[in-house]
Amino acid sequence: MPKAIRLYVAYVEKMNRFIGRFAMYLIFAMLGVLLYSSFSKAVFLPSLWTLETAQFLMVAYYLLGGGYSMQLGDHVRMDLLYTTWKPRTRSLVDSITVLFLIFYLCLLLYGGYSSTAYAIEYGEKSYSAWAPYMWPVKVVMTFGVLLMLLQALATLFKDIAAVRGEEI
Amino acid sequence: ATLAAPAVKAQSKIKWRLQTYAGPALAEHVIKPSIDAFNKVANGEMEIELYFADQLVPTGELFRAMQRGTIDAVQSDDDSIAAPVDISVFGGYFPFATRYSLDVPVLFNQYGLKEIWEEAYGEVEGVTWLSAGAWDPCHFATVDPINKLDDLKGKRVFTFPTAGKFLSRFGVVPVTLPWEDIEVAVQTGELDGIAWSGITEDYTVGWADVTNYFLTNNISGAWCGSYFANSERWEELPEHLKELFKLCMDSSHYYRQHWYWGGEAKLRVDGTKMQLTTIADEEWAKVEAEAEKFWDEIAAQTPRTKKVIDIFKKYAADMKKAGKPYRYS
Amino acid sequence: MSYELIALLMFSSMMLLLLTGQRVFGAIGFVASAAALLMWGDGGSEMAFSAAMKLMKWYPLLTLPLFVYMGYMLSESKIADDLYRMFHVWMGPLNGGLAIGTILLMVAVSAMNGLSVAGMAIGASIALPELLRRGYDKIMVTGVIQAGSSLGILVPPSVVLVLYGMIARQPVSQLWLAGAVPGLMMAGMFIAYIVIRCWMQPSLGPSLSKEERAEITWEEKISLLKAGILPLFIFFSMTGLFLMGVTSLVESSAVGAAAATVAALVKRRLTSAVMEEVLRKTLGISCMFMWIILAALCFGAVFDGLGAVRAIEDFFVGRLGLGPWEILILMQLSFILMGMFLDDTAMLVIVAPLYVPLVKMLGFDLVWYGVLYTITCQIAYMTPPFGYNLFLMRAMAPPEVTLSDIYRSIGPFVLVMTLALILVMIFPEIAMWLPNTFYGR
Ligand code: NA
Ligand code: NA
Repeated sequence: MPKAIRLYVAYVEKMNRFIGRFAMYLIFAMLGVLLYSSFSKAVFLPSLWTLETAQFLMVAYYLLGGGYSMQLGDHVRMDLLYTTWKPRTRSLVDSITVLFLIFYLCLLLYGGYSSTAYAIEYGEKSYSAWAPYMWPVKVVMTFGVLLMLLQALATLFKDIAAVRGEEI
Repeated sequence: ATLAAPAVKAQSKIKWRLQTYAGPALAEHVIKPSIDAFNKVANGEMEIELYFADQLVPTGELFRAMQRGTIDAVQSDDDSIAAPVDISVFGGYFPFATRYSLDVPVLFNQYGLKEIWEEAYGEVEGVTWLSAGAWDPCHFATVDPINKLDDLKGKRVFTFPTAGKFLSRFGVVPVTLPWEDIEVAVQTGELDGIAWSGITEDYTVGWADVTNYFLTNNISGAWCGSYFANSERWEELPEHLKELFKLCMDSSHYYRQHWYWGGEAKLRVDGTKMQLTTIADEEWAKVEAEAEKFWDEIAAQTPRTKKVIDIFKKYAADMKKAGKPYRYS
Repeated sequence: MSYELIALLMFSSMMLLLLTGQRVFGAIGFVASAAALLMWGDGGSEMAFSAAMKLMKWYPLLTLPLFVYMGYMLSESKIADDLYRMFHVWMGPLNGGLAIGTILLMVAVSAMNGLSVAGMAIGASIALPELLRRGYDKIMVTGVIQAGSSLGILVPPSVVLVLYGMIARQPVSQLWLAGAVPGLMMAGMFIAYIVIRCWMQPSLGPSLSKEERAEITWEEKISLLKAGILPLFIFFSMTGLFLMGVTSLVESSAVGAAAATVAALVKRRLTSAVMEEVLRKTLGISCMFMWIILAALCFGAVFDGLGAVRAIEDFFVGRLGLGPWEILILMQLSFILMGMFLDDTAMLVIVAPLYVPLVKMLGFDLVWYGVLYTITCQIAYMTPPFGYNLFLMRAMAPPEVTLSDIYRSIGPFVLVMTLALILVMIFPEIAMWLPNTFYGR
């Protein structure tokens, strides 16, 4: 495979690993916010912001962690036929069908971009009394989708390499 | 089998997707009859498909979805869909802006709110505001009773953002969740109550089954709910279908007028699921006094919000001067 | 093209794409977003991301990563080892006793977490090697662990019931209570099956030898009972506090996760290596589920836009002209059939919204139906070729357990589960008694 592609795969995987491992620790943030929520309810007034903050953390968690989880091979497949194929056949089929996945991610990215652009243009606020601006979480979400797309492309390159009998 | 409308026939027919803020049980009253009538009268020239709360698009994304043409029309108040206009604060329960449901059409048609709304949405690309009507009053439905202002403290209540901001001055913790999740959220303890409707709606959608008390005081006699459409799709309609859609909106507004007015009284008298409580007038006057401050803060936001607040003030003064039966105090 | 045909096309192309072995979320997401684009043009291009906003607002979903975390904390920190030892010692003297002990262990693990993942991990790492070493039949024990761990979604807490509750708009507290008795009943039926099988063929599950039994003193036996304290503490801190109304649902999942962490700390098993494993696996599994739900929500919205709910109603009520019970049975059968081939979580998000309105229209109780639905899910999790428990078992089983062993092992247990399903259908009180009593419904 061309050097540019090798470099692309190496950098994307490194970046996704780094960001994914950061996202991994967000579970503690979710845990903390919700524990604070149940604690504050018992001791003083419940807060306006806890549930929504936890929701923001949750989407950041799974979207930022998406690329890394794909890298780790955590996304299930229906492997009735898949497991019976030789590794090379698998890579061949994968390198075609991953295009469908990429198509989906492109639409997700397009929607995310459009939604974020709107949030910034109109200063969109969340529909709640706390009413935080929506653009920060939308930026994070869209970035997460982008990471997933980059990872999917890297996966495609790796599959093509495997079909050609190379290793990236 | 009714769904299998072949595409050949459908080509000439105009199709609209309209999403309402209401779930199926409520929509059965507040919009479905008028849409069914519309479809019948349109006689195959046009068909409006009705979708309920969050069905195609989550409510938070509704405005944008309409702007982009994912859906063609929306029934909601401006506040709930976070419409990107300065006057959206008035769409939900704006505290003490109205006392009776007839106040809303009067304010829009005789006091100039209609022109203000048209102007405001004229500045937003891709969406046309069509019409506003009076929806139900804003009462508390709660698990535990409210007899004095102090009882509001710490109550996590589902309500409109603007009403929520106002009520938080009395210790209420406003919570926003998808409309369809409210009933369950009360049962699982995420919510202590609801300040989103009158008693008719509490009974209709099942909230009366999960709460025990109804507070007769309200912070608004009716909210103004609107219809919107994607501008391009609206302009494409032939004149007679535009007129027909206006009649359809008016028919929905009219249904609400008598459905709520009669329903609120009947359920207060005959309802068995909720016990009524009242905060004494002298104490409730504190809330009204606080609302005046709130009005002034909102008026300070933009010249247009000031115009609306001035209209509210003028209207309130006129009604007071007119005396009974317009105002009793 | 008629809407029905589009819906059919969507379903079959999803099936086809799944068969290629591409990642499930990609297959579903592609079909959904492509269909939206084809039907609604530019306006449909935003449906995929709209689903992400919908998912964000589905607040009970917050429990998912926390439950996954909790499950891995329980299995990775090996706090279930003592519990296993307790059941091992107490049940060992019986024929098939260790298998019975494993079912009891699974019930205890199920009461501490909401998925079947933890049960599978604990069963495959602690119980399975031990049982094989003692000469238990490998096909039977493989089945025991898969069936036992599937109780995780029926015995409260349960993530499947949370998901179902979101879709059917039913209170999770009542659903959880409704799952408790059927869960215990099913565990009892598994045990009865083991007892009968091992009584007929003692070689399938030999009892502990005399010498081994002699080594265990009564003091040890009694002191081992202390192993039950920690699970009780965890069960109380999450399900107990939630049912008492002290914590809300999402808060209770956080309290449960914290309790599991504390338990691991108390046991001095929370090393950095354990933490790393727990965090990475939690991220991986949560991401897998969430991305599938994300794609399935988009699929569901498009399906809804096509009027699939009405189409299904028309089909069952109008075209087939069936009565309520016949429809209910057909729905369960269709779900089990689809669950064999399609992803179970996606099925829940796509199919439940289609069925629930019909069930309601037919006049059935939606809390009761939630239990039926969960039992059907349990079966779907185990039936080949597609099932999470199958995947996990294949990933975790020692080499001497082959794929065909795993497939063969589930047969009798699926039959037992189907029997349980029928019992709950005929006698709704099995599910409804506890929530009715607790809430005075
Ligand atoms: Na469980
Ligand atoms: Na299956």
